[in-house]
Amino acid sequence: MMSLPFVLFACGLGAAWTSRRVAALGFWVAGVLMLLVLFRMHATDVLNIAL
Amino acid sequence: MTPNLSRLLNALGLVAVDTVLVLAFVDQLWFRDLPCPLCILQRAGFVAAGFGLALNLILGPRPSHYGVMILGAVAGVVVSVRQILLHIVPGSGSYGNAILDLHLYSWALIAFSLIIIGSAIMLLFDRQFAATERDRLKVLPVSAVVLFVSLVVANVVSTLAICGVGLCPETPGGYLIFNDNLSLTLLGQPL
Repeated sequence: MMSLPFVLFACGLGAAWTSRRVAALGFWVAGVLMLLVLFRMHATDVLNIAL
Repeated sequence: MTPNLSRLLNALGLVAVDTVLVLAFVDQLWFRDLPCPLCILQRAGFVAAGFGLALNLILGPRPSHYGVMILGAVAGVVVSVRQILLHIVPGSGSYGNAILDLHLYSWALIAFSLIIIGSAIMLLFDRQFAATERDRLKVLPVSAVVLFVSLVVANVVSTLAICGVGLCPETPGGYLIFNDNLSLTLLGQPL
């Protein structure tokens, strides 16, 4: 699951190399969203700081 | 700025991102410093930002490709700031090796900030976006893109080896893929 962003980015690069720009951008958006979802799942501890 | 100069600068930028990803692998493989989940996500942030550079090289420079770089770097900033805040209080420990007195997540924040600033500066030069006949890619841009793609694929393999197909352990103790209980690892179950 943690490797999914890299898989999506790799697919996006493949699409870009074959001149499918929209598909490349679509894979990139999916990769960034996956990155943020995984970040949310891992950032569960309360930070020990007072802002 | 001519399209050719823009392409050269984008190639050099992608070489810089490639270098960061290579150094992360050197730290992982040579110094046996396994990446934590947030470290892996920061690598993904560098790939997300480098994606814009690769698009500029493969498909030609566009403002939207610089937007891809900036948004990818912002995602990386979010992750690196979170990790810095986890360890910012004295006595709260740290993760991994320090290089020149800064841990890798602090260096990552600096690198992501430089990517954002660099992209903003590149966006100031409109002539690079003029529609011209594009030359064939030269050696440096092709090498940078090929190395970038290779590093992305290497990160897929590395992350699978460390985390299996589930979420990563908060403090990885080894490569799960080499664990005796491989079937459970592949199912993403706790070992």
